[in-house]
Amino acid sequence: MTDTLTLRIDLDSSIPAGRQIVDGLRILLVSGKLSPGSELPSVRRMAMDLGVHFNTVAEAYRTLADEGWLHLHHGRAARVVCRDAPNPTMDQMDEFGHRLRALIAEMLAKGIPAAKLQDDMRVAAEELES
Amino acid sequence: MKAEVAMLILPLVFVAVIFQFTPLITRRGIFFSATVDPEFPHSADGRRVLRSYRWQAALWAILAIGLQLVLSPRHPLTAILPMLLMIAGSALSYWLKFREVHTHYGQRRPEIRQAELSVPPARERFNAWLWIPPFAALALTAAYLQLHWNQLPERFPVHWGADGQPNRWSSREPLTVFAPVVIGAGMNLVMLGLAWLFSQLSRNTIMRRITVRLLEVLLYPLTLTFIIVALLPLGLVVPVWLIPAIILTCVAGLIFWSYRQIVAPAIADAVPEPQSDSYWKAGMFYYNPNDPAIFVAKRVGIGYTVNFANKMCWLVLAGILLLGLLPAALGVLAAKK
Repeated sequence: MTDTLTLRIDLDSSIPAGRQIVDGLRILLVSGKLSPGSELPSVRRMAMDLGVHFNTVAEAYRTLADEGWLHLHHGRAARVVCRDAPNPTMDQMDEFGHRLRALIAEMLAKGIPAAKLQDDMRVAAEELES
Repeated sequence: MKAEVAMLILPLVFVAVIFQFTPLITRRGIFFSATVDPEFPHSADGRRVLRSYRWQAALWAILAIGLQLVLSPRHPLTAILPMLLMIAGSALSYWLKFREVHTHYGQRRPEIRQAELSVPPARERFNAWLWIPPFAALALTAAYLQLHWNQLPERFPVHWGADGQPNRWSSREPLTVFAPVVIGAGMNLVMLGLAWLFSQLSRNTIMRRITVRLLEVLLYPLTLTFIIVALLPLGLVVPVWLIPAIILTCVAGLIFWSYRQIVAPAIADAVPEPQSDSYWKAGMFYYNPNDPAIFVAKRVGIGYTVNFANKMCWLVLAGILLLGLLPAALGVLAAKK
């Protein structure tokens, strides 16, 4: 078996493909699986593998570059850069709090118990911070 | 039966046999290009569908052979009309079976897409030890012809009829003497070019590995054929059936090897192709406007097809057609000299 790093998206999902690419890559970046100095596949190659439009991948790369994760240079591969943890603003914290409440409400509405949510959040945070 | 007619019927029989086995050369979970339960082809319904298709394909083959026998060997359409009838008829039968399987027994798989994040991306490695010898053999043949130039007759045959008798002659000139070597090298370059295109413009699947290796290995029977043809003016005597036998044996062997690779249950694609049956028009033509890929692994059979929704595919098809016709045009030019 190969230990090649992969990115998976679900084209049947209601979440747009571009958003899934950003989320998937961000998880790998935060967890350190994609470390500074690593290069990402070209927009063309990534789009072909995922079966999505070039612009979808290009936009996802730009989003991550705006967040400070990637350095983009025309004609060269996107490169992961060293990024200092930013200080979140109050607005950002409010926004994430709102999104989290909305997500928890949706999960509770589907019958997922709160205790499981707490466990899942703790495990995910530990995995990503390690 | 005249040898001429027999030589026209043989390709029909060969293609008819291929049509009989085509539905079997497919991945597990695919049947007549439709996504099904992996065990469905072995079920009673699966066997019934296959049997029905085979009878229909056999009927088209019998009709085509009948037409071949009715048409005069001199008729301009004799060489293509029966073959076209058989291909179109069998394709129609295949399409009807695709619809039946997709409608009544089809399954839907989630459209999970996967990309490799390794850089550089995994590409097929071209084995120089595999593709250099055919070119070296052609170069040696050219050198041998040059060294024995004086032994070449002033006039020699360059085309043979179905009865094995020469029907076109040419004079001893560099263009005609070296034409088989040059055409052979050109054909080899086309094969390698195709293999390179697939390695660059397709997803990392088992089909890509098979197709690239297959194209590399096919250089050998091709090269041997052109070397034999190039040495004929020097008095090399070969039976008329030898070259078709070499090519058919190699093709049959490669198809069997590819079949074993494709149906192996343990093999998973590193980057799978899109799953939905809706992208496969009539079960044969891939049309997916959201997919930027130009080449897509065929669902049935060996090799690649193009994404007809991608405008670039027409450019690629025209390029392949031109490259394919170039050696033939050179051959005609050389024969006219």
